[in-house]
Amino acid sequence: MTRAVTSTRHHIEVMGTVVTVDLFDSRDEDAAAEAITRVQELLRDVDRTFSTYKEASPLSRLRRGEVSLGECPPEVAEVLDLCQRAKELTAGWFDPWALPGGVDPTGYVKGWAAQRALDELRGLDVSGAIVNAAGDVASFGGPTDAEPFHSGIVHPDDAQRLVAVVELRACLATSGEAQRGAHLYNPFTGDFASAVASASVTGEDLGVCDALATALSVGGHDVMVLIDRLDGYAAMTLDAAGVMRATADFPLVRD
Amino acid sequence: MKRSPIVAVGTVVGLASVLSFHTSPVKITLNPSPGTTTAPPSTTTTRPAKKHAPATTTTVRPGATTTTVAGQPRTTTTTAPSTTTTARATTTTTVAPTTTTVAPTTTTTAAPATGVRTVTGPLVNYYYGELSVKVTADGSKITSVTIGTLTDGGNPRSQQIDQYAIPLLEPEALAAQSYKIQSVSGASYTSAGFELSMQYALKKLGL
Repeated sequence: MTRAVTSTRHHIEVMGTVVTVDLFDSRDEDAAAEAITRVQELLRDVDRTFSTYKEASPLSRLRRGEVSLGECPPEVAEVLDLCQRAKELTAGWFDPWALPGGVDPTGYVKGWAAQRALDELRGLDVSGAIVNAAGDVASFGGPTDAEPFHSGIVHPDDAQRLVAVVELRACLATSGEAQRGAHLYNPFTGDFASAVASASVTGEDLGVCDALATALSVGGHDVMVLIDRLDGYAAMTLDAAGVMRATADFPLVRD
Repeated sequence: MKRSPIVAVGTVVGLASVLSFHTSPVKITLNPSPGTTTAPPSTTTTRPAKKHAPATTTTVRPGATTTTVAGQPRTTTTTAPSTTTTARATTTTTVAPTTTTVAPTTTTTAAPATGVRTVTGPLVNYYYGELSVKVTADGSKITSVTIGTLTDGGNPRSQQIDQYAIPLLEPEALAAQSYKIQSVSGASYTSAGFELSMQYALKKLGL
């Protein structure tokens, strides 16, 4: 017997943006409410630890040299270790240490936090869940037990249009010359510039997707080749001339 | 990992949006809440359009666009805000500061003009070199947009690059998809200009 798809959306204002959490076909509302509370606490805790806008955050103090890494919450070392791995994975195109002003793992933290938030929802009696942190998407399951989620990728110039629809197998991060203007730093030239208008990466872990998308946006083709070789991750770019490129396994939905 | 050969060199995003060439990025005003709208992009296709493929109606902003082609400035005069074509129109796009409105479908029975024609636009600068765009129309409906020429100015990367190039989705395919999207990804507030020779080609085609 078919049932209508039911979903509930929760908005969490955190990290200078809004994170949405969608639960699909939730069959235990009390457990869901508790999980949403845990997600809120987790995200706010991440914000308190990693915000570069909060002067007193452990990361801000580390950047100013007031505390050592050992004096920070263990998550800081964990994230910096993951950032180092992402830097190696991208041959240096993702490099939180290259920016002026000290190490800035912000490009990794949002995806990493959304991934951890999603992990808090895994035990729920739902058909699927989506955590969307300002356009970086982590998910498991689907709108029903039998279907996968689909995600749109918005046009880099116009949020009202889509350039592609993808099957959301787990995570999807999109990077571009985004909200904050030309914020993407090229660690090799010292410029703030993008090679492509929009870069999307899918894969198992949203922190990795986020870092890869940032690298792809800055490095263009060189990073596309790296991602193509990377098992479990696929990429798509849209350049300023309107040419779309994708690795063969990018899960585009065509009809 | 598997890798497919070149499928086809690209198409154009925002068929109407490419009508003006901006030598500097255009500042964009955007909808602050991505995820709420899923209107079809006025994307073009390298496949024949389906039976109910939408045509594109374009309004060009007055006084727009200086185009630099092969290093030389070229001024392209654009028309006053007016509708240049209709034919089973579903999409209305306003170029430059890039606000796009998608009109509801109207069924127009205006007879399309003059059969199948193909026009190639002039070379324009492109991230890795220069390219020109080839547009084919049947009557007043665009049936294909492909890259006519792609030169890399000695950049050895362009051949490698194009192994990844793929055709964009037909707009109606995206429109059909949108009802089952549960999420939207995208930084979305980029101000990259579209740098193509579409304007000339469309003008030649009377579109």
